[in-house]
Amino acid sequence: MVGVRNKLREVGLTMPSFLWLSFFFVVPTVIVLSIAFHAASPDGGIAPGFTLATWRSISNPNYPAIVWRTIWISALTTFFCVILSLPCAYAIARMTTKWRAAVAGLIMLPFWTSFIVRVFAWRTLLNPEGFLQGLLSSIGIIDQSVSLNYNSGAILVVSVYSFLPFAIMPIYAAAEKFDFSLLEAARDLGARSFFAFRKIFLPGVRRGVISAVLMVFIPAIGSYVIPDLVGGTDSELIGNKIYQRTFPDRNLPHASALAGLTAVAVLLPLGCVAWWMKRQDEREAKRLAEATSRRISGGAA
Amino acid sequence: MKKSAFCIVILALVLVFLYLPIFVLVGNSFNAAKFGGEWAGFTFDWYAALFSPRNREIWMSFKRSLLVAAIATVVSCVLGTTAAMALNKWKGRLQTVHFGLIYTPLVVPEILMGISLLMMFASLKIPCGLLTIIIAHITFCISYVTMTVLARLQDFDDRITEAAYDLGAGGLYTFFHVTLPILMPGIVAGGLLAFTLSIDDFVITFFVTGPGADTLPLKIYSMIKHSRQMPVINSLSTIMLVLTCLLVGVSRIVANHRPHRHLKTTK
Amino acid sequence: MKDDFLVFDHVTKRFGALTAVNDVSLTVNRGEFFSLLGPSGCGKTTLLRMLGGFERPDSGRIYLEGKDITDLPPNRRRVHTVFQNYALFPTMTIWDNIAFSLKLAHMDGKEIEEKVEEILEMIQMSDQAWKYPSQLSGGQKQRVAIARALVDRPQVLLLDEPLAALDLKLRQHMLLELDTIHDQVGITFLYVTHDQGEAMSLSDRIAVINRGKIEQLDGPAKIYEAPASRFVASFIGDTNFISGEIVSVEGDYCFIKTDGFAQIKAFNDKNLATGQRVGLSVRPEKIRVTLSPPPPEKGAAINVFPSTVKDIVYQGVYTKYWLDANGVRISALKPHSRFLLDQEAITWNDKVFVWWHPDDGYMVEEDDV
Repeated sequence: MVGVRNKLREVGLTMPSFLWLSFFFVVPTVIVLSIAFHAASPDGGIAPGFTLATWRSISNPNYPAIVWRTIWISALTTFFCVILSLPCAYAIARMTTKWRAAVAGLIMLPFWTSFIVRVFAWRTLLNPEGFLQGLLSSIGIIDQSVSLNYNSGAILVVSVYSFLPFAIMPIYAAAEKFDFSLLEAARDLGARSFFAFRKIFLPGVRRGVISAVLMVFIPAIGSYVIPDLVGGTDSELIGNKIYQRTFPDRNLPHASALAGLTAVAVLLPLGCVAWWMKRQDEREAKRLAEATSRRISGGAA
Repeated sequence: MKKSAFCIVILALVLVFLYLPIFVLVGNSFNAAKFGGEWAGFTFDWYAALFSPRNREIWMSFKRSLLVAAIATVVSCVLGTTAAMALNKWKGRLQTVHFGLIYTPLVVPEILMGISLLMMFASLKIPCGLLTIIIAHITFCISYVTMTVLARLQDFDDRITEAAYDLGAGGLYTFFHVTLPILMPGIVAGGLLAFTLSIDDFVITFFVTGPGADTLPLKIYSMIKHSRQMPVINSLSTIMLVLTCLLVGVSRIVANHRPHRHLKTTK
Repeated sequence: MKDDFLVFDHVTKRFGALTAVNDVSLTVNRGEFFSLLGPSGCGKTTLLRMLGGFERPDSGRIYLEGKDITDLPPNRRRVHTVFQNYALFPTMTIWDNIAFSLKLAHMDGKEIEEKVEEILEMIQMSDQAWKYPSQLSGGQKQRVAIARALVDRPQVLLLDEPLAALDLKLRQHMLLELDTIHDQVGITFLYVTHDQGEAMSLSDRIAVINRGKIEQLDGPAKIYEAPASRFVASFIGDTNFISGEIVSVEGDYCFIKTDGFAQIKAFNDKNLATGQRVGLSVRPEKIRVTLSPPPPEKGAAINVFPSTVKDIVYQGVYTKYWLDANGVRISALKPHSRFLLDQEAITWNDKVFVWWHPDDGYMVEEDDV
């Protein structure tokens, strides 16, 4: 009797969110995937009947180039975000509690202004008559004729800008728990500071780095606003294509197939990371078990 | 120590990088030049224009955004809290699937959620509009609220609810007088997150919006794309930035101020 | 049996393959300070949680004042628990924490106020009533937890290792306070602990529990002086435990043959017969260590063994000696007192005599190994 009531309570607490997400997340996902196997009807709808035509047409050379560019820019964005976040997280974690809260707040504050507006501000910044162009050309880094806006470089800069707080935060959270006396111990034993940073600090914040990678890479893959506002015609990403096929072209099967492709681009690295982490955990558990059993048998002997 | 100095320099540069566009934005909101390229003198014109009847649409869309965010926050807080409680309390197969359902939306790019919801609404012939936007927002907010509340629940000591039962309280009394007050900071944090995400969401809303249902980000986007009113956007953003800072500041002060009750509340 | 105050009747509780409580029956008297003492994982907390209503026994019943309470949920028993980590409600003031059960009982405001004031007075925290638990020290939290559980006069107060989280000094202070509170309120206390010192100094009776079973149920002195089993002897305090066999019986005494010693004389209170295998427990403080042999007039009546000092550990109140007597390791305690320092100091590797009175050894029957 107690078991039944317990089960009822579990179901009662679980069902609201369970049903909502099943209906508005799982069902739509299934629909998208199934639409990709239909043909488009001329009126912008979906023609009945199963076909692989859509998949064949997205294998034309145009699309792989876009997919490749998307993955490449996302990977670069992730790389720069993590590289910049590591020293930042280290610096914040070494501050006093009061400073930490203040600096962490400063990093998150831009996040509270509209994303669209921030991207738009970058467009102004990168404008040919804008501040950056003037600054960089006056100190002779770039030629006056080079355009900062509307290319892959602009997408990369704005992406790093947009996702940087999401990389700093998890690494900082891990760094905050890191025992900094380990670094001192390493220095004490003669390690050079960069060596200690790489060999002690980096493994210590490993988990933070992994979640930073995911927090940046995933939204970067599906990015639409940034390439749309600061990218050029020759730097389209997969997000722009999905939009184009959905609205101006009204080719829903095509859009669905592209969405499926994006999902693969996200899930593949995600799966790899999950597998790698699981293996690491297992290794660690095994090492621990071995060490323990060795100690026990050693103690008995 | 040299290491630390190097890191602090990088941190300072990163902060400059993060605030650069915001300074440009605030500066340009007072810049008389229409395209913000160079400084053409100080002006309040754009703030005046923002409140002129010509730009009524901006405020309409702002109100719509607030409405959507408010509803999405309340609903996702309820669904997220129940979900977190179920996930925390039970560990069976149902909860494994449940956790998958909650977790996956967090790792799926927004654009995919946008397009799949659009396709579903299209195939069910549900007209897109405010309702579909609200549904979409609730869908992506649930996961964030659940995760925030779950984090709070994991620090929660089950002995405390046991103590309540032990002293004679029933399940509902315990929930409303003991559990909920303890979870409240988590729920509020989750709700704040949901509200921010909802009010700032562009991509998903962009896909599921319908005629006359533009939220503020959509309105701003169409102004960027189609009209020549950029400085007005700057002034609006500056006002929102100031409001946000005030809100954050006030909430900090409130949070730091411990209630000091000298009167007996129980009579 | 149903007339007794609190009865566990053949209670068993399993968690998967583990039998946490194995067919335990025991009776607690009204107003008693009763302790469940045992190592961690012995099932004492499970017993307590079954009485609180948080676990249900797989078999057996629990009676409180003649009423079967086995199936009642926790909120319908007048049995309150003081949890190990106090489990105070963090969002309520001390006052509201204590008033919790009274409000649930729909008592009127005036009465609630009186009762809370009264108990705050008792724990000497009247001036802290409007603080929150996070603003209190460990000892204060402890007192609030006790007050909260006592304020509506439960039939039994359960205390689950209540002092475990406190430091030594505070623990000693709280021990006295608990004792005083128990005397003041006259409610039955059921106290779970793994600390024999706590159990000894507070309890009227102690149940020593091991592996889900009661090893011995007696008063503190009896448990210390006359342990019922090898487990009890070694769990309660330090002891020298020597295994052997009874070779002869002589009046009230018997002689035990062991591996190292020729013959040990021991008081045969259980009238054990020749041939019985026994374990002999001799507490270290009952053993004397001297450089010269004991006075001859005692010689015949007591146990005397020559041995070598292996280690000396100074412990303030006394000094502990580790000795080797014919291959058997013996520990002995010696208090520091002028009266006992009338001879040369004992040092490492000294040849000494250890001796104890036959009445100070206590025998436990052992099965053949």
